Amino acid sequence: MSKELYDAILAGDMKGAVAATEKALSEKVDPLELVQKYMVVAMDEVGRRFECEEYFVPEMLISARAMKASLALVRPQLTASGAQPAGRVVIGTVKGDLHDIGKNIVASMLEGGGFEVFDLGADVTPERFVNAVSEKQPHLVCLSALLTVTMLSMKTIIEALQQAGVRPQVKVLIGGAPITQQFADQIGADGYGENAASAVTLARRMMHAN
Amino acid sequence: MISKERVHAALTHREPDRIPIDFGSTAVTGIHVSCVAALWAHFGLERQPVKVHEPYQMLGMVEDDLKQVLGLDVDGVFPRKTIFGFPNEKWKPWRTPQGLEVLVSEYFRITTDAKGDTMIYPEGDQAAPASGRMPQDGYFFDTIIRQDPIDEDHLNPRDNLEEFGPISNEDLEHLRRSMAALQGGDRSVIANFGGTAFGDIALVPAPFLKYPKGIRDISEWYISTRTRREYIHQIFTTQCDYAIANLEKIHAVVGNKVDAVFTCGTDFGTQSSSFCSVDTFRELYYPYYRRVNDWIHRHTSWKTFKHSCGSVVKFIPSMIEAGFDILNPVQCTATGMEAEKLKAEFGEHLVFWGGGIDTQKILPFGTPKQVRTQVLERCKVFSKKGGFVFNSIHNIQARTPVENIVAMFEAVKEFNGQN
Repeated sequence: MSKELYDAILAGDMKGAVAATEKALSEKVDPLELVQKYMVVAMDEVGRRFECEEYFVPEMLISARAMKASLALVRPQLTASGAQPAGRVVIGTVKGDLHDIGKNIVASMLEGGGFEVFDLGADVTPERFVNAVSEKQPHLVCLSALLTVTMLSMKTIIEALQQAGVRPQVKVLIGGAPITQQFADQIGADGYGENAASAVTLARRMMHAN
Repeated sequence: MISKERVHAALTHREPDRIPIDFGSTAVTGIHVSCVAALWAHFGLERQPVKVHEPYQMLGMVEDDLKQVLGLDVDGVFPRKTIFGFPNEKWKPWRTPQGLEVLVSEYFRITTDAKGDTMIYPEGDQAAPASGRMPQDGYFFDTIIRQDPIDEDHLNPRDNLEEFGPISNEDLEHLRRSMAALQGGDRSVIANFGGTAFGDIALVPAPFLKYPKGIRDISEWYISTRTRREYIHQIFTTQCDYAIANLEKIHAVVGNKVDAVFTCGTDFGTQSSSFCSVDTFRELYYPYYRRVNDWIHRHTSWKTFKHSCGSVVKFIPSMIEAGFDILNPVQCTATGMEAEKLKAEFGEHLVFWGGGIDTQKILPFGTPKQVRTQVLERCKVFSKKGGFVFNSIHNIQARTPVENIVAMFEAVKEFNGQN
C-alpha cells in the first residue's frame, strides 16, 4: 500500500513522498509502520546504493529531502502515539569548522534510519555538546570535522564529556574526510564511520551494544 | 637545466635533471600564511609580515627569497581579483585570530560578529552582506551561503552567469603586467586565468558577488546536477562560450610564455567515493572540458591543469580524453589512488602535479622521519620518465610543524642528489 512512499523516497520525489504519506495517514495506516516498513527501508536502500556507487551525494540529498518531508507529516502522530525512536543522537560539526554538508547527510541518514536527531549545527563548542547531552539524554554523540586543524577538538569534546561525568552514558562516533579508525582509537571515540551509510550501520551496532 | 627547462621536461614526459618543485603558484598548491611565516623565520629571512595573496584559504605569498631558498621552480600568475572580489593591492597590516601579523589587501574589509567570528565582504563593500566567515579561532574563511528562495517556475540560467562575461581591459592589462614582471626569470609559469571551471563548488556561492542570484546553495547545486540538468547545461554552454572568447584575448596578451594553465578546480572525488558517476561526468562536464582543452591545444603551447581532490581514479581516463595534461593534487590517500597504480596506469599520458606528501596525516601529525620516508617513496614512484612536479597533496595547512615542512624539502633535495 505504501510502496509508493518507498518508491518516492528512493527516487527523491518529494511531492510523491508527501502525497503517499498523506494518503497512507488518511487511510489510518499506523505511522510507526510507515516509518519502519517503508521510510527506514527506503533510506537503507539509498545507503546501500551509495555504498555500491549507484547513488552519489546528489541522489542522497534528494532522497533525504523526500524522506524529511514525509517524516514531518508522520512525526506529530508518532509523538502522540508514544512510539520510541531507534535511538537518540546529538550531532554537530566541531568548533572552528564550518563545513556541514557531510554532517547534514549523516544526520539525514540517521533520521531516515529511525533515529531521533538533535542537530547542533556547525562550529559547536565542547560546552554545547555537554549541555546537549545533559538536556537531550542521547544514546549517541556524533562529531564531524573536515579540517586537520579542527579534528583535534574531537578529543577536547570527549574530555569535556568525561569531565562533566556524562561520557559513560553515550557512545561517541566520529567522521569526516581526515578521520580514520586509528584516530578514533587514539582519542578514545567509540566508533568511526567512513561515510553516511556506514554511520547508520555503526549507530545501530552501538545501540545493540548498549 | 634552468627551472623552466626542468618543468618543461617534466610536462613533456622526459626525465629532467631533477624533480621540479612547486609551492605557491596556484590556490591549490600553496602554503598557509602562518607556515610561510614559520619558514621565513626558520631560514632567517628578512622579518616582515607575509602577504596573504589568497584570503579564502589564507595562503601566504611565497616570494622570491623563499623560492630561492626552497629551490622552487614555478611562478604563478593570478587573476586581478581574489575570490572575495577585491584586488590584491595597497597592502595593510592585519593580525590573525592567532595573533600573527600579516599583510592583506586594502580591500580586505572585515567586521567581528557577536560570536567573535571574522566576517569578510564582497569587493570590500561593507554595505553588502558578508560573503565569508572565519570562526573565532579559525585559520581559514568559509563562504556564507546567500540563497534566495528558489522559484522553480522562474529559474533563469542568466542568474548563475553574472560572474561570467567578456574579460575586461583592466583584467587583460593586469595579466600583461604580471607576465612582464616575470620576464627574464628562470622559472616556469602557471597561469590562473579563471572562468574555465565548470561547477567548482567553492565558486558556486559566489563570495565575490555582492548579491548573488540563481542557485548558490551548495546542497541545492549538487541536487541541481541531478534534477535540473538542463539548467546547468545552459549555464555551462554560455560560460564555455565566454571562456573560449576570453582565452583568445588572453593568449593574444600573454602568448606562449605560459607553460601551464590552471583550467579547472571542480572536485569530483571524496575520501572514499565520488560526487557523481562516470556517466554523469561524461554527460554533464566532459563536453565543456573538451571544448576548452581543445581550443587551448589547437592555439597555444599551454598544458592544461585539472585539480580534483579525492578518489578520482575512475574519471582519469575521461579526463585524459577530455584533454587534460596535468592532474592535481593526486590524493594518494583516497580510495584507489595508490601512487604506484596511478603512475603505472596513467603515467604516460598524465603529469602528476602533487601527491608528494599526505597533508591529512603525515605532514601535519607525523614525524620528520615519516615525512622523509614518504617523500622519498613518492619521488621514486612518480619521477620515472618525468611527468611529475613535486607538491604536497593540496595546500600545506595551518598548524603543520615547520620541522616537517623543512624535512619535506630536504627529502626532495636528497632524492634529487642536492644534499
